[in-house]
Amino acid sequence: MTREMTHDGPDADHRLDGMAQGVLGRGEPRPEGALKVTGRAVYTGDQQAPGMVHGALVRATITRGRVTTLNSATVLEMPGVLAVIDDPRLVRFSGQGATTKPPKADAAGVVYHGQPIALVVAETLEQARHAALRLTVDYAEEPGAVTGPEDPAAEVELPQKKQSETGAPDAALEAADTVIDRIYRTASMSSAPMEPHASLAEWQGGKLVLHSTLQMLASAQGQVAAALGIEPEDIRILAPHVGGGFGSKLGISPETVAAAIAAQQMRRPVSVVCTRPQSMETTSRRSETLQRIQMGADDEGRLTMIGHEALVSNLPGQKFSEPVQQATHFTYEAAHRRVVHRVARVHRLVAASVRAPGEAVGATAFECAMDELADKLGLCPVALRLRNIPKVEPGTGRPFSSHKLAEALTEGARRFGWEHRHASPRARREGEWWIGMGMSSLVRVNTVMEAKARVSLSLDGTALVETDMTDIGTGSYAILSQIAAEMLGLPMGSVETVLGDTDLPASSGSGGSFGAASTGSAVYLACLELRSRLAEAMGCPEPELTLKDGHAIHDNRKVPLSTLMGGAAMQAEGHLIPGEAEDKARQATWGAAFAEVGVNAITGEIRVRRMLGTFAIGRVLNAQTARSQALGGMIWGIGMALTEELVHDARDGHIVNRDLAEYHVPVNADVPALEVHFLEERDDWAPMQAKGIGELGICGAGAAIVNAVHNACGVRVRSLPMTVDKVLAGLVEAEADQG
Amino acid sequence: MTEIAFLLNGTPVRASAADPARTLLDWLREDRGLKGTKEGCNEGDCGACTVMVTDASGVRALNACILLLPQLHGRAVRTVEGIAGPGGALHPVQQAMVDHHGSQCGFCTPGFVASMAVGHLNGRHDHDDVLAGNLCRCTGYAPIIRAAEAAEAAPVPEWMRDSFDVEGPAPYAPASSDALAAWCLEHPEGTLIAGATDVGLWVTKELRPLGPVALLHAARDLQRIEPVPGGLRIGAGVTIAALREAMEGPHPAFAELLRRFASEQIRAAATIGGNIANGSPIGDAPPALIAMGAVLHLRRGEERREMPLEAFFLDYRKQDRLPGEFVEAVTVPDAAPGLRCYKLSKRFDQDISAVCGCFHLVREGGKITCARIAFGGMAGVPKRAAAVEAALVGREWSLETVEAALPAFATDFAPLSDMRASAGYRLATAQNLLLRYFHDIAGDAVSVLEVRA
Repeated sequence: MTREMTHDGPDADHRLDGMAQGVLGRGEPRPEGALKVTGRAVYTGDQQAPGMVHGALVRATITRGRVTTLNSATVLEMPGVLAVIDDPRLVRFSGQGATTKPPKADAAGVVYHGQPIALVVAETLEQARHAALRLTVDYAEEPGAVTGPEDPAAEVELPQKKQSETGAPDAALEAADTVIDRIYRTASMSSAPMEPHASLAEWQGGKLVLHSTLQMLASAQGQVAAALGIEPEDIRILAPHVGGGFGSKLGISPETVAAAIAAQQMRRPVSVVCTRPQSMETTSRRSETLQRIQMGADDEGRLTMIGHEALVSNLPGQKFSEPVQQATHFTYEAAHRRVVHRVARVHRLVAASVRAPGEAVGATAFECAMDELADKLGLCPVALRLRNIPKVEPGTGRPFSSHKLAEALTEGARRFGWEHRHASPRARREGEWWIGMGMSSLVRVNTVMEAKARVSLSLDGTALVETDMTDIGTGSYAILSQIAAEMLGLPMGSVETVLGDTDLPASSGSGGSFGAASTGSAVYLACLELRSRLAEAMGCPEPELTLKDGHAIHDNRKVPLSTLMGGAAMQAEGHLIPGEAEDKARQATWGAAFAEVGVNAITGEIRVRRMLGTFAIGRVLNAQTARSQALGGMIWGIGMALTEELVHDARDGHIVNRDLAEYHVPVNADVPALEVHFLEERDDWAPMQAKGIGELGICGAGAAIVNAVHNACGVRVRSLPMTVDKVLAGLVEAEADQG
Repeated sequence: MTEIAFLLNGTPVRASAADPARTLLDWLREDRGLKGTKEGCNEGDCGACTVMVTDASGVRALNACILLLPQLHGRAVRTVEGIAGPGGALHPVQQAMVDHHGSQCGFCTPGFVASMAVGHLNGRHDHDDVLAGNLCRCTGYAPIIRAAEAAEAAPVPEWMRDSFDVEGPAPYAPASSDALAAWCLEHPEGTLIAGATDVGLWVTKELRPLGPVALLHAARDLQRIEPVPGGLRIGAGVTIAALREAMEGPHPAFAELLRRFASEQIRAAATIGGNIANGSPIGDAPPALIAMGAVLHLRRGEERREMPLEAFFLDYRKQDRLPGEFVEAVTVPDAAPGLRCYKLSKRFDQDISAVCGCFHLVREGGKITCARIAFGGMAGVPKRAAAVEAALVGREWSLETVEAALPAFATDFAPLSDMRASAGYRLATAQNLLLRYFHDIAGDAVSVLEVRA
């Protein structure tokens, strides 16, 4: 039996608050923790199959053109080499998330430097890698490869749906008392999960069994089916443990399809494990952005005009473009508004979703501009933001589902000690170091996805939660177990959660901060159905049934669940269907980030001294996993502000720093003391009153650092990351200005 | 058949060493099916493959991905699987990682656990340094550091104490510097491998055949630090970790620089001889050694010669080393109280220097009598700032003198622009570092570490 819910409107019942077990919201440790700390959690690259052979991707050494000949004969003579696979179904790069549309096939058509074009299969991985490097390829090169979005030769598109204008922005800007008009740049970035991409494919009687590093299994199943030309039912994907994704594993990757085709052709299991450089060069990246932000304000600091133009890039023909202005539409009030969104067509690795597509870069740049406006107005940056919070969504007039920005700002400022900030830059010096504070708002759209889950209740008093949901480090195993334990009145140890298998009910998958709330709601619904049946057996209305520690309680009766179940195990499915709720109310998560930095006056080095974030995400499902997501997000903000940048070679577009030595994710020593505070919130418009937390931390946190750097030393760096050379150049200018 | 013997998770094992370039990580995962140790980068950047290695010199955390199997002969290795006790009992750091939510996606976790277990066994509480060679993309590190703190007081489980005696010589590994000298004469184009932190990448990234190799770890006489008149003679086989410890007394500025040399795991494997001999223009030790006035000792057969270290670096990746000759030692002075070392990089740890400037000025009666200034990252070799030095020597120690010397940097250096920094930045900060040096000697706080909340 399936309990369905179409999410059409608010729910003020808050059923979870009335449950008795008391495990939801607590910082329960992850149940798979022991497996992970002892090395027993099996990841895709750890999988073995009898008779397994290894594949290595062959990659293009041109930027644009077509493979004319793969000179396979020579490598086929090398020891251990079994085959060179050049199938027209091989794909060029990773797919997008939440779609069954596969990435572009025909890998012989080269559209970026480093693109996979074939697969060498050999007995060992070393033999395959060696042969893949030795394989010589003839190409028909096409001229006119544009590799940089600001190259004047780049074709630039303005997708109609992504442009908007309200009122008379130009006139409003003209009439404004105070005006900001600035250009910001953010760098191309890599998800760089710790686990490189990998797939192991095996055909079992016409059915493909695929172990793969993926965040969303159900849509990936559709992508693989379409890529191979087979039915989704004939594919089983397994991903019980995924070593981080951050967007790069939302869709299938070149190695996924290559492994499947090779396994079919070889009639043997084929494993394709990407090297770190391949993982960074053949999957997807976050687009670099160029953003022009205009603001007009009256003399009281009320915004009259907001303009946000963005130039992003992607390969020709790709629909995805970094949704830079996603939150610009509703974050601040202004009667006159303009959004311009340009997409430059470039021959670089495909651009796709990386943790918080849109706000990660858009809110960051916008919050930098807000700081510049506050500075110009002589207004406290917190006060400026408080003054411009809209009551309803600008433009549409929709209500906000819940709006906690003001509270996040004031609570954050209080806890951080914002009142100690000097209003003017260059006011605090300690030795060589300028010290300053900065802040920003945090904002991220919130959404739910269709999700199903199955919950079984056994006579031994244990429950089993099953869904194809993944745990990419987010805490799905813990959270889904907690929801079932809370709803069914069971201790955590009595609930087992099984994930990462497409033979199980299709979940939302992990991505876009929607995983816990969407799939968690499916578990919640399945449990509601079980509760109804238990209540019927108990002879009471379901809402009056108390379940705790394996017993049902009503009035003066306390009955073990097994007694109530009448000798038979029970099972139910829950199914959450996104409905009209999203159209009726603007739903978002809100927060604020505060940072204190030191800037070295003579070298330009920046050290983040401390950081604090306040977060309003609705109901917190697990205090520990939520906190970790917030911390992780803030650190991504540090990376974006200070260190992370994919460098593309200006000549051919290839990624120069395709490893962890040169693509700089923050190390422990770069991360200061961080504080995370959650605001008490129940968002009625969110199922379970819970919203997402996986991305909010990065949506503006970098700006707090940029703004703190300005407050410290008077330098505005408008091109991220703020490397030492940019800061020092600004310091030299600032010294000159002071004469 | 070339075989080696070592202890793996408490059990004696033998392994073929027919291929001297086979890495421990590949052997663990492919031959032993021990998949807990992960490959995150295969070049010693991420630490996901960290294992615990015990030998007579102590217990160290090393990157298995660039640890060559023959290097393990006679040692003991513990992987994440063997850090848990017999019967599956969790090690205190493993339990703390679960309790403190130090593991999220879990892929970096086995490496963190190995680093933490080694730190725990060695009684270390400087967790930030112990874990500097492990990258995590999920947690923000704080929960991991908290886990390390929580496990501090727990006793070291008895299964963690490995000891192993092995008979027979290690293959490919000359047992003394004399034996090495003979080998080098016989194989003038052979490859010497000390810590394998660079040569390991030739194997894992470039798939380069190494030809005849000699492993240096068995030549224990190269691993000594000995007092000599006026200084300390440091054997080429001394690890950066051991050197850092030895320098804390006589040369604290150099020791602090070495704290930021690559990472814990790399410092435990890499040697000072390797750092010098590979001739990288951005190695961190040579600028400091040159500023100190270190002398390099080379040996070819029974012939020995010595030279000021700076004379060894002829041109980009070209050193004054004859076929069959090897770096035997480097001698540093007893003291260099005026030495200061400044490393500038984007990340604090695990980052190649954009600029590494080392200064050593001697003053007498208010006048500068000797100036030795050397930079990494400013030229194709680690290089002295001769013109700047000339502009300082014989002059009064004052801000005016320092400022007047600044333009000479442009005579000494014409740096490149690359991903790490622009040419303009490099030149400007080189000048600024001299200003910093002036204030540093005057007692102002300048260290990156002195900025704290």
